[in-house]
Amino acid sequence: MAKTEIKVGFGDQVKAVSVELPKGEAKPWDADAQLEVVGKPIPRRDGALKVSGRAKYTYDVNLPGMLYAAVVRSPLPAAKVVSVDTSAAEKIAGVKAVVQVAEKGDAVLFAGQDVAAVVAERPEQAWQAARAVKVEYEQRRFVTRLAFAATPDAPLVHRGAVEERRTEGHVTEGGGGDAQGNKRPLRPMKKGDVSKGLKGATVHEAVYETQVQTHSALETHGIVARWDDDEHLTVWASTQSIFSVRDELAEVFDLKPTNVRVHTDYLGGGFGAKFGASAPGSRLGTIAARLAKQTGAPVKLMCDRHEEQVCTGNRPDSIQTVKVAGKGTALTAIEVQSIGTAGIGTGAGVGRNAFAVYTKCPNILVDSSDVFTNAGPGTAMRAPGHPQGAFAFELALDELATKLGVDPIELRLANDEHPVRLWQFEEGAKRFDWKAKRAESKRLREGKARIRRGCGVAASIWGDFGRPKAAVVTCSVLRDGSVEIRNGVQDIGTGIPTVLAQIGAEVFTRPLDTIIVRYGDSELGSSVGSGGSQTTSSVTPAVRNACEDAKEKFIEHVAELLGAKPADVSWANDGTLSAGGASITFAQACKKIPGESITATADRPATYGNHPMPFLGAPMPQIAGVQFAEVEVDTWTGVVRAKHVLAMHDCGRVMNRLTCTSQVNGGVILGTSYALMEQRVMDHDVGRMLNPNLESYKICGAADTPEIEVVLTDVYTGANNTGAAGIGEPSTIPTAAALACAVFDALGEPVRRLPMTPSRVLAALGAVPAPKGLG
Amino acid sequence: MADRSALTRRGLFRGIGSATVVASCTRTHPGTATNTPSTDAALSPGEIGPSPSRLSFELNGKAVQVDVEPRTTLLDALRVDLDTTGTKKVCDRGACSACTVLVDGVQRNSCMMLAHDVEGRTVTTVEGLADDGHLTVLQRKFVEHDALQCGFCTSGMLMSCSALLQRTAGRGSALSKEEVQDAIKGNLCRCGTYPHVIAAVLDASKERA
Repeated sequence: MAKTEIKVGFGDQVKAVSVELPKGEAKPWDADAQLEVVGKPIPRRDGALKVSGRAKYTYDVNLPGMLYAAVVRSPLPAAKVVSVDTSAAEKIAGVKAVVQVAEKGDAVLFAGQDVAAVVAERPEQAWQAARAVKVEYEQRRFVTRLAFAATPDAPLVHRGAVEERRTEGHVTEGGGGDAQGNKRPLRPMKKGDVSKGLKGATVHEAVYETQVQTHSALETHGIVARWDDDEHLTVWASTQSIFSVRDELAEVFDLKPTNVRVHTDYLGGGFGAKFGASAPGSRLGTIAARLAKQTGAPVKLMCDRHEEQVCTGNRPDSIQTVKVAGKGTALTAIEVQSIGTAGIGTGAGVGRNAFAVYTKCPNILVDSSDVFTNAGPGTAMRAPGHPQGAFAFELALDELATKLGVDPIELRLANDEHPVRLWQFEEGAKRFDWKAKRAESKRLREGKARIRRGCGVAASIWGDFGRPKAAVVTCSVLRDGSVEIRNGVQDIGTGIPTVLAQIGAEVFTRPLDTIIVRYGDSELGSSVGSGGSQTTSSVTPAVRNACEDAKEKFIEHVAELLGAKPADVSWANDGTLSAGGASITFAQACKKIPGESITATADRPATYGNHPMPFLGAPMPQIAGVQFAEVEVDTWTGVVRAKHVLAMHDCGRVMNRLTCTSQVNGGVILGTSYALMEQRVMDHDVGRMLNPNLESYKICGAADTPEIEVVLTDVYTGANNTGAAGIGEPSTIPTAAALACAVFDALGEPVRRLPMTPSRVLAALGAVPAPKGLG
Repeated sequence: MADRSALTRRGLFRGIGSATVVASCTRTHPGTATNTPSTDAALSPGEIGPSPSRLSFELNGKAVQVDVEPRTTLLDALRVDLDTTGTKKVCDRGACSACTVLVDGVQRNSCMMLAHDVEGRTVTTVEGLADDGHLTVLQRKFVEHDALQCGFCTSGMLMSCSALLQRTAGRGSALSKEEVQDAIKGNLCRCGTYPHVIAAVLDASKERA
């Protein structure tokens, strides 16, 4: 097969490589590609609709005759349903139906589980009716405390086999062995022999804890379901994966997938919790469709904030014992033993930071286990496992650096092998003025100043999970001179339709406003879920292929009009097409299209490159990132303020510098919130969440946000034809870790638990006794 | 300014048992009870509920009339009864400011007001900011600076920020970053738009100055 030469690399480290391009694949935009529209900071195209309140989200869909549903949830963390009395609820004005979701004898495994559902003419009536459903339970022993749940004395959360929930787009760490009690080991990540690496080395060992964080997307989970007839279901879903909603509903109601139509025109955030027709801890999609069928009317079912907090997923907590050893600047051993709870679900691994960033270390073992508790299921959350793993490991690394007497950056540079990350560490250190800042924090620390400052740095690791054959894109050149791109992808908020339009504008050298993008509808061609930071990398290459193919056909049409060969047609930037002295404008050529359009459909082949470095040996590129953080700590009050974060990130070729920067800002802010504020608080005596809201579950506000400086380091991977890679998840991985390292620098004492609240800071300083941990 | 004697949802829950409240609410704005389609027995003059009764107010410059129950919040009346869905429901208890609207020019959490509290008053939602379809400077700056991602906090952000611009209109100078930060302290965003929101508002205030 023919090989194509392309230029890959980053900065001044560019080299030519030969790649074997799959059939029909456009030549990748490489380091030499001069692009006019792709990469530019272009405002998102639906901005005007969003700022004027005209963008209709699932929550905003009001259909004629629509009814409102509400779910009755168990207040108990473990129980058996004894009876459900719906008679009082049925008598409430406006109530159309009350159904049982749990039957007599069914087990309740967490406070918040579905028990019954009601549907009424108005939301107020539905809530009133939900409160009027009387459920009798037989209480059972339960456990919500992680450390206790892992012991043999704890009540068993699951009595039968546990089905692992896999979230589309996320490579799970997988189950590794049999459960013992509530504890179920994950597959360990292992290389070399840790005991060998500990011999004769300086060793640091400590325990690190992270909290449960909830996704807290502003639009709650929800769905509007309408049966068009017995065989056809149309839904509007607040989902980050239109096609998993379609397939799940088709399966549950025994329909052909093509008979289920899913719309997600606008989506109020997801962060990993919105896959499938329902929520991780509630079958709300099925309930809505069932009630719609029963009442013969469209039904809207949106979670309220309390439900959103308890049953729609979360980032599991962790207790990590980290051992790290080194000689000079060489890491000789890394060992992480971790337990965490995803409630009744699975997925409490701690990611790949400890295993796969500092790869020069020859001996590594990362061993983690899920521990079941009677709490709402965890699910993928923006870089599942990674922020918690990065926090524990990077802070441990800084503690070791102190023992070794080396600078944290020096230690990282000596053990990392990713050329982009090494460059980001070095460039970032200069830009951040690392040495001067660290000297200043040392001066304040040694002078026992009340207000201290500190700096930290941490690494990000992610893979380019762009999926082959998943996105099918149609491109049409229309008679009116516009180019239409169709794909059923949803926009989680990253601005993907704008990027797709940029690809179209680039290929056709046409003005952006002549490119129409249709998306957010399962009728528009299959697409990927927005998970694993894979949307842009999966969809843009398919868009480019479809556009290139349509362009080729269009040139054939023009050649025929001009009486020339397609190869002789030249395409000027102003849209004039000429060959052999004759010319025609783009608009004129479009008007002469036979029929309505010239159309091509294409997909994306498998990723065919992994420059500049593979992701864990896989045939895909590893995405690099480094964040530097500066904090200010008041040693009297214990308050930590994130002052400044420098975020250096690689996301392949940047498609849109404006929306990409927005995503990185978002990653940093989410990470700051995780580091300093957020925590699910459980009452372990009654097994319920105490802060299922947004006033005592604290998320980062404008005043808590650091100054954020984003540096996007373009990397030309040659791995797909646009060169796009992901950024959503990589940008939140290192933030909490860098902030924790900065707090350590400020205090000279580590705060080994997230969030780094005033009481924990004061405890680290020895000013107050240590508060109780997750154990 | 807001009428302090008006029923608010919070005050209502704090003051009296909710059973009594559902049975009968006294409206503080007299003179509208005659229009109510209510058939509830034993109502004193000026009392409404629990059935829907007529509510009249000005929404985005237009007089609207709608029949709502006393328990319905302004937020639900806007979204469910009037299909004005630009105003978003996020926490439904006054913690996130996503549902911010202007009532007689003052920003309020519409989830914390009962619909009947706006009887005879003027309500502006995000749909009412643009003048005849022309986006305001602030709205345009939001788009230019990408001050929105998923867009679900955006309506509330815009209402808080346009209230800020309005109340500082006479000043003739640009705003400071701290002023903008203060104005949106209560507006929660999960995508992380704060830096771009601040940039957009500062830019809009410069244009004004």
